[in-house]
Amino acid sequence: MRKTIIQGIITTLLFFGTWLSLTQVDWMKILKIQQATDKTEEKLGDLFWQAFKKTEQENQSEFAINSIDSIVTHICTSNKIDRKKIKIHILNKEEINAFALPNGHLIINSALILNSENQEELTGVICHEIAHIQLNHVMKTLVKEIGLSVLISMTTGNGGSEIIKETAKMLSSSAFDRNLEKEADIKAVDYLTKAKVNPLPFSNFLYRLSDNEDETTKYLTWISTHPDSKERAEYIIDYRKDKIMDYVPILSNETWKRLKSEIKE
Amino acid sequence: MGLEYHKRFMIHIKEFSYDPSEHEAETASSSYLMSLIAIIVGLPLPIVNLIATIVFYFSNRKSTYFVRWHCTQALISQLSMLLINSIGFWWTISIIFTDETITNKYISYIISVILFNLAELVATIYTAIQTRKGIHVEWWFYGSLTNIICKSKS
Repeated sequence: MRKTIIQGIITTLLFFGTWLSLTQVDWMKILKIQQATDKTEEKLGDLFWQAFKKTEQENQSEFAINSIDSIVTHICTSNKIDRKKIKIHILNKEEINAFALPNGHLIINSALILNSENQEELTGVICHEIAHIQLNHVMKTLVKEIGLSVLISMTTGNGGSEIIKETAKMLSSSAFDRNLEKEADIKAVDYLTKAKVNPLPFSNFLYRLSDNEDETTKYLTWISTHPDSKERAEYIIDYRKDKIMDYVPILSNETWKRLKSEIKE
Repeated sequence: MGLEYHKRFMIHIKEFSYDPSEHEAETASSSYLMSLIAIIVGLPLPIVNLIATIVFYFSNRKSTYFVRWHCTQALISQLSMLLINSIGFWWTISIIFTDETITNKYISYIISVILFNLAELVATIYTAIQTRKGIHVEWWFYGSLTNIICKSKS
């Protein structure tokens, strides 16, 4: 009996030992899985961005791009995120929206900047989108919604421009899974705290826009695609409770004001 | 070389309490063949080879000691394979259909599963041949486990 138990334990250990020692090998690299995935993502990101570039007007203001760049760079350096991974684009659109495309393309609509009462609100939304990028939500959602085979056929040029346009539209106008949204919100608060930015305005932003029922509501894409804004605002407040500390603004007041006026033009 | 290794360390040829008859040897050998055929049919769904072995086990429950013994050994080895294969199967399913992604852990697990299945396959083929000749073969761990579960009626 004892011999059987010992042999059983050894067999089980043998299995787990094999598994454990095999994990020491970097299979992803050997089998080039990561490389293949990265390449697909890179191509998709460019394809979708090109689709937007064709139909929408990109804001070329150097001052605006530099200001947003300062915010993103500050967030990245304080959170040890590879800054080169994130590519910022500002579109002149009256929809209050920001969204992430594959391969780190982060698109911000001008209306979002104009409707942010202070830079912390805008930084909050940017952090939320960076969180989606860092947590790989974009590719995960794409694979789930339209399937890997369609995605790969897009990158090899067999996708047809209509499908690319539709998919790009989907990424800009529909939200991620509820759990992914919450995950990104929590991560955003982490980013904000580490960057010494008060997360409270981010939650206020959600509150304010969800309460707003005047005619601008139809442009509130970012809010309408992110359901239960109030609930989100609440758990953000709840999560940041024990993280109160000294906050430092990223942009100077003048820069923030000038950014808004530049965007207005 | 793999087989030699198994022969020396994992599989022991032992004296059975009596000499099995020609018919007994054939049925005992079939219990291993049963799981072999089922592996081929049931590769994508690991439960199939277990069901096949269970059916064979129950249909031979009242058979002679030699036959019962080998049916039991085939069955309990299938049971543990079912466990690790099912985990691999559902892990794969969750990668295809949910937001799980392929990781190093997953690839290593699948390789371990393949290795253990191969070892089991080799052992099964070898044992099927030996039992057909009426030679009693006890596997490492499963053999002694079978000795506990399966008792001679006499």
